[in-house]
This record gives sequence, C-alpha cells and structure tokens, in this order.
Amino acid sequence: MVIRVEHVHKRYGLRKVLNGISFTADKGQITCLIGINGAGKSTLLHAVMGLTPIHGGHITIDGEAPGKQVYERIAFVPDHLTMPPGMRISESLRFMEDFYKGWNMARAQELLQFFGLERTERLGNLSKGTTAKFSLMLGLGQDTDYILMDEPFSGIDMFSREKITEVFTSDLIEDRGVLFTTHEIAEMERLMDKAVLLQDGKIIRSFDCEVMRYEEGKSVRDVMREVYQS
Amino acid sequence: MNRYLKLVHMEVHRFRYLMLFLMGIILIFQVGAIISVLSDELSLKWENPAYSSVRQPFVPEGMLSFTWVISQTNFYFIIPIFISIAVIGLYIFFIWYRDWLGKSTFIYRLLMLPGARCQIYLAKLTAILIFVFGLVSYQLLLLPVEKLLFQMMVPAEWRVDSYWPEVISANLALDMLLPRNVEQFFTIYGAGIMAVLIIFTAILLERSYRRIGILYGLLYVAVHVMAVMFLPDLLGIGNPDSFLYTDEIVGLVFGICLVLLMLSVLFGFRLLAKKITV
Repeated sequence: MVIRVEHVHKRYGLRKVLNGISFTADKGQITCLIGINGAGKSTLLHAVMGLTPIHGGHITIDGEAPGKQVYERIAFVPDHLTMPPGMRISESLRFMEDFYKGWNMARAQELLQFFGLERTERLGNLSKGTTAKFSLMLGLGQDTDYILMDEPFSGIDMFSREKITEVFTSDLIEDRGVLFTTHEIAEMERLMDKAVLLQDGKIIRSFDCEVMRYEEGKSVRDVMREVYQS
Repeated sequence: MNRYLKLVHMEVHRFRYLMLFLMGIILIFQVGAIISVLSDELSLKWENPAYSSVRQPFVPEGMLSFTWVISQTNFYFIIPIFISIAVIGLYIFFIWYRDWLGKSTFIYRLLMLPGARCQIYLAKLTAILIFVFGLVSYQLLLLPVEKLLFQMMVPAEWRVDSYWPEVISANLALDMLLPRNVEQFFTIYGAGIMAVLIIFTAILLERSYRRIGILYGLLYVAVHVMAVMFLPDLLGIGNPDSFLYTDEIVGLVFGICLVLLMLSVLFGFRLLAKKITV
C-alpha cells in the first residue's frame, strides 16, 4: 500500500518544475515534502492527484495510475477553497455525500464540532484559518487510505494551527498514508515519519526521520540547515 | 448517469438567479411594450372611435389584432432577447472560468470526483441547453399570457383573432427564435449547439496549454468557422454548374458539421481527461 512516484518530469513552457522526482509515501506513515516556495511541492501533489499532466515518469497509487478509480481512496486538501463560495457548509456536506461513496457524514459532523464550524456559514465568508479547517474537514470526512495536504499551516493563526496539529496526532490520521507539503516544519517535525527535501524540482535529500535522529543525531531542522544553507 | 444528473442539477442551481433575472427583463420589456402600444392606440380610439392607425391585410379597418400589437413592439421584444443571447454567450465562458478563477477553485473538486470527467463537460453543456431552451419555453408560455392581456385591454368589438404562425412572423426576434419546421430548428439550434461545443473545446485547449493554448483555441475556432462558412460555397451551392444537387450539398454540409461536432466533443473529453491542468 504505497504512493509511488518514479522519475517524474514536468515543465511549464521551457521551465522544468519537476526534474526526475522519485520517492514513495507509505500507508500508515506521515511523509513531508519540504522545500522553499517554487520548489515544485504543490505541482507534485497536483500530479499525484491527476490534476496536472506530467511529461515523463510514472505515478501510481497502490499500483494504479491517478484517475477516477482512485479518488475514493485518496483525498486532497489544497491550501484554498475548492467549493463554490456561494455554498453553505451544510450544502457542501450534502455535495460530498452525493458524490463520494466513502463520505463519512458522522465523522464530518464530529469534525465540524471539533473545528467550531457553523453549518449555515457561507464558504465565501470564511477566514483563511477557517477555510483551512473546512478543507481539512472535507479531506478527513472521506474514508480514504491516503490524504494529501498542501501547506496546511500556511498563513493561519496560532490557534488554528494547534487545532490542525491535534488532528495529526488523532486516530483520524493514524491508519492513513499522509503526504503533505510545507516550507516551515515547526510543530510538525516531531510527527513526521519521512522527510523529502526538494529544491528546484529535484529531490536533494530523502530520509526516515527516526533513523536520522538515532543514527546521525540530527533533527529534520538540522538536515534542512545543512542542505539549504550549504 | 446518476452522478451526471447531480452535476446538471448543481449547474442549473448555480445559474437560477441569472435565469430569473432574464425572465424578469423579458416580462417587463414585452408586457410593458404591449401595454404602452395598446394604451396609446386605445386612448385615441376612445376619443375618436373612427380613428385607426392599423393597416394590415385581412384585418377589417378600425379593428385591432394581436399580430398588429406584436409587429408594433418589435424593438422591445428584440432588446431582452438580445440581452439574453449576450448573457448566454458570456455564460458559455463563465461556466468554465468561474471554476478556475476567483476565491474558489471548484475545478479541483470537480476533477477529483470519482467518475468519468466527461460528465463535467456533458453537465455544463446540458446546463447551457437548459438555459437556452428554458428561456425559449418561457417565451412560448409568455405569448399566450400576452395575448390574454391584449384580450383584456381591447374590447371584443374592436379586436380580431390572430393565428400563432402570423404572430410569430410579425416579430423579427420571435421569427428567429421559434422555428416552425425541423430544418429551421436544426439550422438555428444545431448551429448554436455546434458553436457552444467549439467554444468549449477552445476553452479547454486554453486551460490545458495556457498561454500557447490561447493560440490553439483561436486557431481551433477559426478553422471550424471557416469550414462551416465556406464549405457550402466550396461544394458549389447555388451554382448551376455544380456537380451536386442543392439537397445533396445541404446533406453533405449537415453530415460534415455532425462529424466536426462529434470530434469537438471527443477532443474536449480527451483534454479534460488527460491534458487539463488546475
């Protein structure tokens, strides 16, 4: 049970955005794609979700190429709203229930309460932090094997960050494969199992966080300093 | 199928206010014009019962017909119909671009739905058709209401009956909008549907290839417009020395248009499945 990315290439015009990327993200593990802005992290998640074509290489989710057959098994939480702004939260829940067999309404209701989201609120009126919580609720409300998150902590307040971090330590995440991107690891460092460091569309370092701590005595932050400041 | 119908429902739900707004405009313009024309005519007639500005074949002098009223309100019928056509024309673009641009990028969700992506295309196309035929149906329903208004305003001794075909012919916009035979229907609405499909494919080309995609899209539209416009002449329609009869040329053009239409749809499906980018 694994998301496998092999020698993936992607370019926008003449600019290479992904340049031979290869890594795996296992089910039951939290894998973090780390890199500064423009490193290709979001593009890579889009490619895994089949939201942008790639120009070389292969991506498989449990052996299958991204496509309609895998969208019940993998959820994506982008860093912005993916529902019409005129929709109310309650309508978006109905939308998800209508289209996804694996939508777990009971869990979604729990998450609504946990995040303090109002069912009658229009999505267009949500703040950045509340939008992030709403998007996470949509992702976690699906019974999927994997969940992908693009910058889940970007530009949100401290209390929203704490709420989201709490989710990462809960049983909502435990059995799933999590692949998320960030350019600031902060509170996520202790939670991640695997780190993949990206720069200019290439993987410059990939390691198991636990092994790195035991064998080399370095934290993810130490490795980042080594790699990005050298 | 079920998922497609849900998508259609959602798209219709999204333009419901716009459609109601257009329906309101059509009602206000047309009913307002009919009341205004009839009031002017009737006030003069009340002052001088012998007065009549109506000069129409087969209508006794001094009498009023619904056909006459419709012919006198041409301008006020055309304006809301043209506004509706313009709004639908813009909506063909808006139905796609609103999902990419702005605060929400709903296209992410649509593309991640666990079903064939061609359903998104078909749902948007169906929504446009519902929009168009919904307004045409509304116009068809409005005409009897307007006739009733005419009957309520004009005393029975001053009015004569009209037949629907002559009512429709009396107004340029209605004449164009309400075809009276299958050929006319296919010419007007078939050409309209084909235009929508070509624009859909051009939009998807732009959304797939972005900057260079604008060029691809424009070329795609230009090639189709040229093919449709020049094909009949190329085949020699109206030319007595032509190798083919007119009926054969019309059939051939119709067949070629059908092939282009199907290719546009299939190409659109492929772009949406393989090339589209968020």
